[in-house]
Amino acid sequence: MSKRGSTGSELVISGISRAFGPVKALDQFSLKIAPGELVCLLGPSGCGKTTALRIVAGLEKADAGSVMIDGEDLLAKEANQRDIGMVFQSYSLFPNMTVAENIAYGLRVRKKSKEQINKRVSDMLELVSLQSKINNFPHQLSGGQQQRVALARALAIEPRVLLLDEPLSALDAQVRTQIRDEIRRIQIESGTTTLFVTHDQEEAMAISDRVGVMQHGRLEQIDSPNNLYNKPETPFVAGFVGITNYIPSVVDSKNEVQVLGQVLEISEHSSPVKKGEEVRALVRPESIHIEKASQGAKIITKSFLGPMTRVGVDAGLADLIYAEMSSKEAKKFDAGDFVKISISSEMVMVESV
Amino acid sequence: MKINVSKYTTVGLVALLSLIIFVIPYSASLEYSLRGKFGKGHDFTNYLWIFHQDGFLSHLSLSLELGLLAGLLNLVLMVPTATFLHLSLQRYKPVVDFICILPLMIPVVSLAVGAEYSMPGFLQNSQFELVFFFVILALPFTFRVLDSSLSSIPLKTLVEASRSLGASWPATIVRVIVPAASGGISSAFFLSFALGIGEYTITSLLHWDTFTTWTVDVSQQNVLGSIALSTFSFLFAVILLIVIALVSSNRKKKQKELEEQS
Repeated sequence: MSKRGSTGSELVISGISRAFGPVKALDQFSLKIAPGELVCLLGPSGCGKTTALRIVAGLEKADAGSVMIDGEDLLAKEANQRDIGMVFQSYSLFPNMTVAENIAYGLRVRKKSKEQINKRVSDMLELVSLQSKINNFPHQLSGGQQQRVALARALAIEPRVLLLDEPLSALDAQVRTQIRDEIRRIQIESGTTTLFVTHDQEEAMAISDRVGVMQHGRLEQIDSPNNLYNKPETPFVAGFVGITNYIPSVVDSKNEVQVLGQVLEISEHSSPVKKGEEVRALVRPESIHIEKASQGAKIITKSFLGPMTRVGVDAGLADLIYAEMSSKEAKKFDAGDFVKISISSEMVMVESV
Repeated sequence: MKINVSKYTTVGLVALLSLIIFVIPYSASLEYSLRGKFGKGHDFTNYLWIFHQDGFLSHLSLSLELGLLAGLLNLVLMVPTATFLHLSLQRYKPVVDFICILPLMIPVVSLAVGAEYSMPGFLQNSQFELVFFFVILALPFTFRVLDSSLSSIPLKTLVEASRSLGASWPATIVRVIVPAASGGISSAFFLSFALGIGEYTITSLLHWDTFTTWTVDVSQQNVLGSIALSTFSFLFAVILLIVIALVSSNRKKKQKELEEQS
């Protein structure tokens, strides 16, 4: 077992269910987070990720299942007895208290000595680099600063688990990236086991040890960001994580599919299909290769994304096919050019239409 | 610009009208209450007469005590009620809203008699039963004040943040909700307090003696004294409100100073 407060605790969520009337927010949801690990729950609105987080925090009741931290069942405990730190989307700093008082709040509640409180507040302010704001009130801080204070306040109590409920969604893009990296740095420094909820896949991929993709109250797949992107286990994960082209195709045989005239192997995680069935092949833009041609598909859009450029090609299908390449390579192409499309991967995931 | 002129004209007219409505009668009362013996000259005879009446201080302190208790009891009952209605029992809000309006709908006599009989014996025999009546009478006002005050703060997140940091419900209410909604909470307190020290009908119906009933009794002995008494009551209330406002602004000033220092 890990030492509390230094390398974090183990969080095990088993078979949690929660329904709001006829709507199942969580359906037998299970998740295990190793000590010191940062796991992101990612999914569309209403997939149950925030409900899962709130059940762990004790702010929501579960209909069934268990939540254990280091082997101790939490569900029977009230929110204030769980030793869990939480950071909310809307900062939630106490408006009548200064930065120092906000950070000290959890310690005061725990009746720590004045010296202990002052030391811890000072350490936390140093951790989030806000020493100069010690006597400021929340309304005197920017959104990013407020969220850093909220993080310091949650960590001040040395929580067994840290929960972050879309903590960056109220911030503007530049600050969001900065605070995101800061959260990761602080999480690694403190070694606190962390569960992070977001609907922003870039955020999830950038910050996490593992990402859990949720749909309809269930975990579709939990894996490292790299595996999640490159080896999605379900069509939903493939479609939700990253950009995906859905290309109408026909199944050639049990294991092969014809996509844009190319015969490719069907991935084992695809939906069950039969020969001759019309399906959609899920192909990443970076697996689409284009080369100049005198006729055929036509480039319609060209979006510069910094080091990469995304090109939208009209291949006579309902939707454009997107190809991604280095911006240097993309210089060869212009909107209106005719191109030939090919797929560079040997295996694709397919789903029934 | 036109809109501004029109706005200032309206505000000016309202202020002038208020001044006429308040200043003229109270100036007249003040002048009348300061008249000397047989209406000649002006002195403080009538005011000194008030202080020499039996029971002046005892009734005044009793009313203050009852008002204070009513204010506190109201907060003890209504702050948690309004908080939970906002947090998790929103479907019951119309029910509580209706219950809180009842004191305005039920005739005072019925309310006094009905509530009196429903109270335990030891309370029926104590003047402190009035505290409960004052709380009931203040409910229509205090509930609305608290309701709108709690609606103006991010109550749910503040409570959840406090709870997740380890605070119990009472600690959350005292340390987080009360300071965050202090404006509404102090208004609710002073509404109950003011209603408590000024209530006459129920006190009289239940045969209790407070400062208001004492005022009515004493006023029948001396015409000029009764005017002095009503002017005194008015000035007393105004001074009390000024003191409260000063204390409140002093607190805000200290907070501002702290903010400026930082």
